[in-house]
Amino acid sequence: MVQEFVVRERGGVRAGVVQAVSGVSFDIMPGETLGIVGETGSGKSTLARAVLQAPRPKSGSVVFRNTELTALRGRRLLEARQHMQFVWQDPFGSLDPKWQVRSIVEEPLIAYHVGSGATRHKRADELLDLVGLDPARYGKRHPRELSGGQAQRVAIARAVALEPSLLICDEAVSSLDVLIQAQVLNLFERLRRELGLSYLFIAHDLALVKQVSDRVGVMYLGKFCEVGPGEAVYKQPLHPYTKALLDSIPSTEPGAARASSTIKGEPPSPIHPPSGCRFRTRCPRATALCAEQVPQPRELAAGHLVACHFPLTEPAPSQSAAVPAPVQG
Amino acid sequence: MSNALLEVEDLRVAFAAGGREVRAVDGVSYQVDPGKTLAIIGESGSGKTVGCRAIMGLLPDNTAVSGSARLRGSELIGLSDAELRKHRGQDMAMVFQDPARSLNPTMKIGSQITEAVRAHRKVDRKEARAQAVELLRLVRIPAPERRFSEYPHQLSGGMRQRVMIAIALACRPKLLIADEATTALDVTTQAQIMELLLELQAELDMALILISHDLGLAASYADEVVVMYAGKIVEQAQAKRLFGTGGTVRMRYTRALLDAIPHLDRTAHTELPVVTGRPPDPTALPVGCSFAPRCPSAADDCLAKSPVLAEHAPGHSWACWHPCEKGTEA
Amino acid sequence: MAARLPDMTTLLAPGAQPLPSLLSARRLKNQKLARTLRFWVPAGLLIALFFMCFIWPHIYSIPPGNTGSILAAQEPPFSPGHWLGTDPDGVDIFSMLVYGGQVAFEVGFSVTAIGMVIGGLIGLAAGYFGGWADSILSRLIDVLIAFPALVLVLAVAEVLQPSEIHLIWALSVFSVPAFSRVTRGSTLVVREQPYIVAARLSGTSSWRIILKHVLPNVIPGIVTFSLLGIGVVVILEGAVDFLGLGIQQPEPSWGAMIAKGQTVLTAQPEYVLIPSIVLLIFVMSLNLFGDALRERWGVR
Repeated sequence: MVQEFVVRERGGVRAGVVQAVSGVSFDIMPGETLGIVGETGSGKSTLARAVLQAPRPKSGSVVFRNTELTALRGRRLLEARQHMQFVWQDPFGSLDPKWQVRSIVEEPLIAYHVGSGATRHKRADELLDLVGLDPARYGKRHPRELSGGQAQRVAIARAVALEPSLLICDEAVSSLDVLIQAQVLNLFERLRRELGLSYLFIAHDLALVKQVSDRVGVMYLGKFCEVGPGEAVYKQPLHPYTKALLDSIPSTEPGAARASSTIKGEPPSPIHPPSGCRFRTRCPRATALCAEQVPQPRELAAGHLVACHFPLTEPAPSQSAAVPAPVQG
Repeated sequence: MSNALLEVEDLRVAFAAGGREVRAVDGVSYQVDPGKTLAIIGESGSGKTVGCRAIMGLLPDNTAVSGSARLRGSELIGLSDAELRKHRGQDMAMVFQDPARSLNPTMKIGSQITEAVRAHRKVDRKEARAQAVELLRLVRIPAPERRFSEYPHQLSGGMRQRVMIAIALACRPKLLIADEATTALDVTTQAQIMELLLELQAELDMALILISHDLGLAASYADEVVVMYAGKIVEQAQAKRLFGTGGTVRMRYTRALLDAIPHLDRTAHTELPVVTGRPPDPTALPVGCSFAPRCPSAADDCLAKSPVLAEHAPGHSWACWHPCEKGTEA
Repeated sequence: MAARLPDMTTLLAPGAQPLPSLLSARRLKNQKLARTLRFWVPAGLLIALFFMCFIWPHIYSIPPGNTGSILAAQEPPFSPGHWLGTDPDGVDIFSMLVYGGQVAFEVGFSVTAIGMVIGGLIGLAAGYFGGWADSILSRLIDVLIAFPALVLVLAVAEVLQPSEIHLIWALSVFSVPAFSRVTRGSTLVVREQPYIVAARLSGTSSWRIILKHVLPNVIPGIVTFSLLGIGVVVILEGAVDFLGLGIQQPEPSWGAMIAKGQTVLTAQPEYVLIPSIVLLIFVMSLNLFGDALRERWGVR
C-alpha cells in the first residue's frame, strides 16, 4: 500500500499569486516516517494541509491507500480520508474549550458511527489510557485544566481513534517544553510500534526531525531541495541549503564548532521567487546557470535525491564567491 | 564584588494569582562581568524571564520584589518608574521574543528608533534621524536610508529583530538582555542574529544576558550559564565547564534537559530518556528539592530537604544531593 | 534600597532563611472579595429591581399607577400610603415606578431576546457558511442598520397605534442586525480555530459542528453583549416614552414620568430625579453585571 503525493498548490495573495508549494512529489511507505524540514515560507504547512485536502491543492494528485483524494468530495472524501489524521502545533487550539476530554476523543467515533454509545465510551477510555492519561482523572476535564503536554496527548488520542494508517504532525511538539516534548515524542514512537502508523512529520527543528524520521525532505520556498534517508541527508548533505541549515544549529556537543551562518541575506519574497533555482540568491555556490535553469531532482545516491546544479559532492564552481569546498557534513 | 557590571543578589519575585501566592523567582543570585555573556536557561515557569523583568522594572504593579540588583553599583530594585527610566536604554536594554508584537505596526521603523534616541539624548530631529540610520547600519540592515521609512510589516522576522536590537542599542547600553530573542526565528536567521549580537558585543564592549530554553544556544554563545528550575538556580558554571571537552553537567535536571534534546548524532527512532511529570505548581512548591518528584535518582533526603546551591567544584555550583557522576558523557 | 511594598523585608542574607511571605494574606483576600462584589452587587441590584417590579405588587397591594385622586395630588415622600409621594395628578409615584419598570423589563428583555434568536441565527449562518449566503445576509443587515432606530420607531408610531407591542417590534428592527453582526464576527473567529478543522476531520457534519462547537463558544460573547443591549433598549424605550410616542398615557412608564416632571423641574425635582435614578441604576447594573460576567468567562 503506497501513498503517493504529487502536489502543486497555488494560493492567492494581494499582490500576486504565491505558489506556496510548487511541484512537490514524494511518497510514504506503510510504517515509514517521512520528516519534512523547512523554515518559514518553505510551504511545509501548506503541503501538509494540501495532502489532507483542507484546502484541496490547485493541481496535482494525492493517492492514499489506492484512492485519488483530489477527485473526491463531501461524504466520499470523508470516508476515504478516515485513515489519515492530523495533529496540530497548538494543543489547545485543536481542542474545543467547551468540551470534555472524553467527548473530544469520542467525536470521530460518533461521526463515523463506530459501535454503540457504551462501546464508544469504552474505546475512548482505552484511547486515553493508550496516550498515558488516566480516564478516570482526565475524562471529565476541560482543555483549560490540562497542561500543554496533556492537551497534546488528548489530540493524539483523538487522532488515533479511527485507527488511521497515516498521521500528519504539523509542528506537533514545537510549542511544548523540552522535557514534555521528549515525553510526547516517545509516545509517537510507541504508537508507531504498536499501531504500525506511518507519519508525515513536519517541523523546523532539524535534530527533532532526524530523531523521528526514516527519510527526510528539506523544503525551501515551496520546493524540495533534498530528499533522502535521514542519516544520509544529515551526514552527507548534498544541497547547500541543507548544509547551511546544519551549520546554523547550535550544538551542546563538546568541541563542536560554533554555529555560524554560512547563508547570506534574507529569504526572498514568495510572491516573486527567484528565477531558476530559488535558493540561488543566498547560495554561496550560485552561478549564472542557477539563474537560468530550475534544477531537477537527481538521484545521486540510493534513495537520495537532490535538486541542485552543483551539489556538494562536487567542488564549488569557479565563478562563485570564494567559499572553500565543504569539509564535513 | 568589584568590577562586575550587574550583581544580582537573592532576587525574589512573587505575585498573586487566583487568590494564591506564586513564587516566580525564589532567591536568585548571579553576576555579569562587562563584555561577557551570561545565559539563563530554563523552561516555561522557571522564572527566567520574570527575574530579568524585575531588574528592568517591567513587572506589573501587583508583584512584590525583594533582593538586590546593582548595575555598576547602583541599586535597581525599589526604584520608582521615573528613576528606572533613566537607567533603561541608557545603561541597560532588553530585546524581546516576538518582534511582530514589540514594534508598533503603525509607526515607521525609523520613527521608532528616533523615539528611543530622543528619549535619552537631547538631539534635534535631523541629528536623531542620522543616529537612527547609523544604528540601522550598525545592525547590518542593508539600505538603511530606505528602510528608515518602512513599516514593520514590510520587513521579515529577522529584519524586525535587528530593528529591535537597533532600538535597544540607541544609547549604547552596557548591558543587553535578550529574552528568547531568537526563539521565534528560523535557525538560519537565529545564527545570523547571534553573530550580530556577538559582533556588537565586541564593538560596544557590551555585556549580554541570553534568556532561553535552548541549551545549545548557551553552549555555543555563552561564557557563563545559569540553569533555573521552579524559581531557583539549580546549576551555575562557566559554559566550558558544562559543555566543553571534559566538561560535565552535574545537576539532575540539567542532565535531563540535555538528554531530552534531540541530538543530531542520535539514530532515529530511539526512545529518549524521559522524565515523567510536569513542573511543580508554583503556588504549592514541594518541601524538598523542587525537581525531586520527577527525578529518576531521587532519594529520601531529596524529598525532605531542599538542596542549597553551593560551589562544589571551582567555578561550578549546583544544588543537588545526588548529582551526576563527573565524566558522564554530555 | 527599600523593596517595592512596605510590608516586605529588604536585603536578606544570601541563601539563608526560608522565603518570608511577600504578599500579605490580607491583600490576596481583598482581591478575591473585590471580584465577588463586582459580580454580586450588580446582580443583587437587578434581582432587587425585578422583585420590586414583578413580585412586590403581588405581595403587597399598591395603588394603581395610572389613576389617582386629585385630592391626593402632590403629596410629599413618606406620606402615609404613598411612600414616595404622588405626582400633580395624584398618581402614586412608587406605583408608577413599579408598573413603568414592568414595561422597561418587558420591552428590554423581549427586544433583546428577539434580537438574540433571530439575529443570532442569521449571524451564525452567515459567519459559518460564508460565500453568497454571507453576502446576501450581510447586505440585508447593513440595510437594517442604516435605518436610524429612533426615526424608525417614530415612523411606526405614526402609522400604527403606539403601544408596547409595536414598540417591541420597532426596536427589534434595531436589535436583530446588531446581534447578527456580533454573532457573525464571533463565528468568523471561531470558525478559523483548529478545533473546528479537527471536528471536520473527525467527520462531524456541518450542522452538528455549528450546534455543538460553534454555538457554545459564541454564546458567552453574545450573552455579555446582550446585557449591554438590554440597557440600550431600555434607554431607547425611555426616550420614546418621553416623546409620548411609546407607552401612551395614562399607562405609566419611566420616560413619561420624566416628561411630566420636567415642567416642575426646578420646584419639585424629585419627579424627574426619582425615575432617572432608577433608570440609571437599572442600566448601570446591567453594564456592570455584563462586565463581571465577561471577567468570569474570560470573554475578550
